[in-house]
Amino acid sequence: MKRVTIIILASLLTTMAAMAQKGLNINRLFDGRYKKAVGATEIIVTGSQASEIGLTVYHSVSVTDKAQAEIIEHLVVKDGSQAIDKEVEYRNGQLYYGFYTMQTRKHNNRYIFFLNQNLARKSPKNVVTLIYMEGEASAEKIKKLIRK
Amino acid sequence: MQDLQRHITSRQELEQLIERYFDGLTTVEEEAALRACLARCPWHSESIEDAQVVMGYFAALGKYQRHSAARTTRQRIAGIAASIVVVLSVAVFALWHQWQPMDECVAYVNGQAISNDREVMALVENDLSSIGNASQGMTAQLSSVGEALELDNE
Repeated sequence: MKRVTIIILASLLTTMAAMAQKGLNINRLFDGRYKKAVGATEIIVTGSQASEIGLTVYHSVSVTDKAQAEIIEHLVVKDGSQAIDKEVEYRNGQLYYGFYTMQTRKHNNRYIFFLNQNLARKSPKNVVTLIYMEGEASAEKIKKLIRK
Repeated sequence: MQDLQRHITSRQELEQLIERYFDGLTTVEEEAALRACLARCPWHSESIEDAQVVMGYFAALGKYQRHSAARTTRQRIAGIAASIVVVLSVAVFALWHQWQPMDECVAYVNGQAISNDREVMALVENDLSSIGNASQGMTAQLSSVGEALELDNE
């Protein structure tokens, strides 16, 4: 009986973990690794502040480290392959800009933005940014938001 | 055992058997005979009364332990069921918590936490501005490509 109990508990915990990780590849970047990292910025906005810009979740990461930037680009491209809509620009074989509309989750729209400012023509900067947004806002609204 | 009971013919013999019992020297048969004898004992002494009390206690404890075993099984099942309910409740709460993100507005810049809402939202605007410029640049590029194509077709 004790063995059965342990098996049941282990199964439940495994299921929980699996469900928590279900979704996007970029989620693993939001595991807290950038909170103490030098040369990195992580922004998390949820709740009332997020709803002021029409979102339920705003989560971004900006890095200056080249190795981290490559990891981010790799994961973004991986998720981007599953996007239902995308706008992308490559420069010199690298992803410069990406705007991906992902499958909805619990009636919320989901968007991924990527920008490698190292590849900007005017005033390049050593920064690679990933932004994840979730909310009821349509893609058009989001585009208006970023172009304000 | 009946032979043994027949041999306990005096108070002295009984007290000797009681002494052997408390010294842990009696066999199972001797113990049973002692118990039977004490149950209808015609003699009285302090050691006989002590033995009657102790034997009576062990008899009662035996009944309690059998009853306890059944209770323990039921308790165990109830405990397991309660554990499962607790785990399920935690799982449901954790999942619900995922669906309902808590109010959070924080930024970590070079390892330093910033929790001032205004400062955090300023960083958000900075992010969006960079993305917006790139996006507009792309749109402008597409427009100029479109214009060039139109000119070409004229």
